[in-house]
Amino acid sequence: MNREEIISTVKEFLSEEFEVEKSIIEPQANLKETLDLDSLDYVDLVVVIEENFGFKVTGEDFVGVATFDDFYTLVEKKLAEKK
Amino acid sequence: MLLTKENITEIIPQQAPFVMVDNLVSADETGFKSTFKVEENNLFLKDGKLQEPALIENIAQTVAAGFGFVDKQAGGKPKIGFIGGISKLNIHALPTLNKTIETTVTHLHQFENIYLIKGENFCDGELLVTCEMKIVVQE
Repeated sequence: MNREEIISTVKEFLSEEFEVEKSIIEPQANLKETLDLDSLDYVDLVVVIEENFGFKVTGEDFVGVATFDDFYTLVEKKLAEKK
Repeated sequence: MLLTKENITEIIPQQAPFVMVDNLVSADETGFKSTFKVEENNLFLKDGKLQEPALIENIAQTVAAGFGFVDKQAGGKPKIGFIGGISKLNIHALPTLNKTIETTVTHLHQFENIYLIKGENFCDGELLVTCEMKIVVQE
């Protein structure tokens, strides 16, 4: 899966799970603020990540993830590790 | 039995008359199982049937008993947990007086100190309630 495919997949499941318009999921937008995530919502995020990409993420994985761009990079890295 | 009616309140924070679990039957990395008999003095007994809040509380207390047992086995004190959210709740049936409920909790996901579990309780093989629950465990 290339980065464009990752972005498309992420936009699809995040907009559905967190009920936001795809148009506000911009690369430089803040992930937490845009999706209005509280600590409990991160469990839902972990669930949809695993369902869509087949890997698990931990709290440590989110260190340094502020924007959607950071998030796409995290997904890319985790998918590469999975291979 | 890992825990019984006689000692389960040493593990869970709830006390009478709010105890909605009798026995912890099993506890492992996949989940927990418990049993609970519907008795006449239950706070949530109405018209001979145990009401929905008791069944949801039964699932939550099964989680508390399971985690508490695991903590104790590891040599620690049972941690306190809180219900962070309930979703996908379906109520199918209510158990009647003197029936025994069998409850199954399955671990679905964990993120830090927040656990997502699936809870189901049964009576005579019939599904009563199923839900997903987020449990926040106090560190």
